[in-house]
Amino acid sequence: MGINYLYVINKKSTTNMVSKGEILEELSNSVISYDEDAVKKWAKEALDFGVDPREAIVEGLSKGIKAVGEKFHKLEIFLPEVMLAADAMKTGIGILEEKMLEKEKEEMKKNKVVIGTVVGDIHDIGKNLVSAILSVNGFEVHDLGTEVSPIKFVEEAKKMGGGTIIAMSSLMTTSRGYQADTIKRLEDTGLRDKFFVMVGGGVVNPEWAKKIGADGYGRLMDDAVVVAKKFFEERPKLPLKEPIISE
Amino acid sequence: MSAINKLYTLTDFLEVLDRTQNGPVCTQDEWNKKIIPRTVKEKVEEYHLRGTFDPENLINRDDSLADEFWKAGFSMAVEAGMLCVDTERRILFTEEELENALKSAPSELILGTGKDRVRMLHRMPEDRYPIITLFGNFGTPYDEELGPAVTAVALQSRAVDGCNSPGSPLTIHGRDIKAGTPYEVLGGMHEVQLGKAGARMAGRPGVTMQGASGVEATSLAYLGTYGTSKGSDPEGDVIPILPMTCLKTSYYLLNKTALIYNAGGIAQVSHYSMIGGYSGGPEGCAVSAIASLILCCAVHHADMPFGTVFDARDYGGSSRETLWSNSIAVQAESRNTKTLPGTSTGNCIAGPCTDMILYELAVQGIGHSVSGASYTLGLRPRMGRYPNYIGVIENWFAGETCKASCGMSRNDANEIVKSLVKKYEDRMEKPPQGKSFRELVDLRTLKPSKECFDVYNKVKKELIDLGVPL
Repeated sequence: MGINYLYVINKKSTTNMVSKGEILEELSNSVISYDEDAVKKWAKEALDFGVDPREAIVEGLSKGIKAVGEKFHKLEIFLPEVMLAADAMKTGIGILEEKMLEKEKEEMKKNKVVIGTVVGDIHDIGKNLVSAILSVNGFEVHDLGTEVSPIKFVEEAKKMGGGTIIAMSSLMTTSRGYQADTIKRLEDTGLRDKFFVMVGGGVVNPEWAKKIGADGYGRLMDDAVVVAKKFFEERPKLPLKEPIISE
Repeated sequence: MSAINKLYTLTDFLEVLDRTQNGPVCTQDEWNKKIIPRTVKEKVEEYHLRGTFDPENLINRDDSLADEFWKAGFSMAVEAGMLCVDTERRILFTEEELENALKSAPSELILGTGKDRVRMLHRMPEDRYPIITLFGNFGTPYDEELGPAVTAVALQSRAVDGCNSPGSPLTIHGRDIKAGTPYEVLGGMHEVQLGKAGARMAGRPGVTMQGASGVEATSLAYLGTYGTSKGSDPEGDVIPILPMTCLKTSYYLLNKTALIYNAGGIAQVSHYSMIGGYSGGPEGCAVSAIASLILCCAVHHADMPFGTVFDARDYGGSSRETLWSNSIAVQAESRNTKTLPGTSTGNCIAGPCTDMILYELAVQGIGHSVSGASYTLGLRPRMGRYPNYIGVIENWFAGETCKASCGMSRNDANEIVKSLVKKYEDRMEKPPQGKSFRELVDLRTLKPSKECFDVYNKVKKELIDLGVPL
């Protein structure tokens, strides 16, 4: 079996010969070191080399982001690095997906999440932790920031398409009611069966999730991943009678 | 209430507001991902603080190390400033302005009114002067009909100097309270009146109270109660202002500082740095906690500043990293200022009526007392997530432990804390839920159950055996 090589001109203008395996490894390492420029470079190299874009994502970028998640759990790196690594990964996907067929793009992006902190609440760190850890686990996360209104949650989810997760965080007792309002808006606009609604945050618990008719609840950041994975693996009919709980 | 030697001026505050309009532009994204982590890392390196976290010794005993942390935190405050999230502009200060802000903060306060007044003083590490203990229901939601009883039970112990907060009633007359609506305005007053009723039931009508902190989300709750005839009393009560992690403020929060200039009163300004969050590990969090205390004075004119640490992994305050980081930050703050640094004793991951929550309270309270905190507040079982899982006898225990630790040496405290951490840390991943307020308190007599006393007496004896003079 022959090994394909690509001649790469590096910054010092020397010529190196790299294999597909090395390209994938460089993609992974570039995500681990949250080096967006390097991700761009190696994503382009991958395409020039003829690597299947899906393979470059799964065997390169995703492996890197998984390693980032492991380092974060050991407190070897911290939230900002995870957020930057997630940004680098998104950049890489953006380049690679240009060469993918529409059908393939949809396949790769089927696990989508719209996330935000509800209106009346300006706290972002818990939401950012969940957003980063979902990205690390391969979800396509669209972060709406803080003080997100029920209307905005629903409109942004519609743009992402049916089957998207709407993930809402709330730290304040008085703001968590807007999680219920978002579900009500979905019901009132005939969209409740289109979106999986997941809730979390400082004052949110399983009883609240049940009371407002949410589909999922996660206590800590890793719990959010457990719930989201379960939804995408099983694709149950929505809304669920009982929320998926992880705590 | 009176703040001794308080020198902040309205002109200074207007200058802060001007900087929220005219300071350098910086997006939140850039702030979270670049400015804060980069500045923290630079300061940790510049002052040779990397690797100083010692997981085997959780109370710092090295004054020179605390002072190096102070220098790093001060330098971070000068370089980073605070971000106004509404305008996405940085509020920057010169070194001289920050030094003046620290000098403008009071070094002594009288909280409460009448015979319920207490005096808070600047303290040093190992200080014998009592730490001021403000306990109660720190933000846990509860059924509104329980309101007065929740506060009344907490205040039954004289080891509790004041009520941190009456907590968060879930409803007002059966209606949900929603942020940014008239429900918040009315809910704030409702919370204050429930708390005041509880203080009267405990026979301590003039005790200091934080007022509407459980209900408030957008500052409307405070604007509707503070200084009004039936609401919070600027003569004895406190406004809590909580800038967001890391070093971010907003016009909601600045509204409350403005309110103090209109109504008088006292600002307790709390900022949490989070282990694993934007500031990184224990060393970085201690640096940003110190920077936050300085900026709480400069931006929000804090009378009771509060730069402390908790853990992003479980939102608690009792991990080894958190205990060490808080210890060094508070020592740095108390040794290098004449302000009144506060801490939180009570971000607990275990629930009420468990031995684990009492161990968590003990390690936090002992650490804060011997490190020189002027006051401490709490408490929040299960991180405030479960309605009606509220501290009962835990408030008394926390107050007693904090008071008993004043004057203890840091060496002794360190040995005690090390022993106690081992009693709960293997349960941190799956902490016990405990029991709800209704299960633990006779609502007719307001007496905690025998079960509460059994757990309390067991752990109290263990602490006495370890050398805590309870």
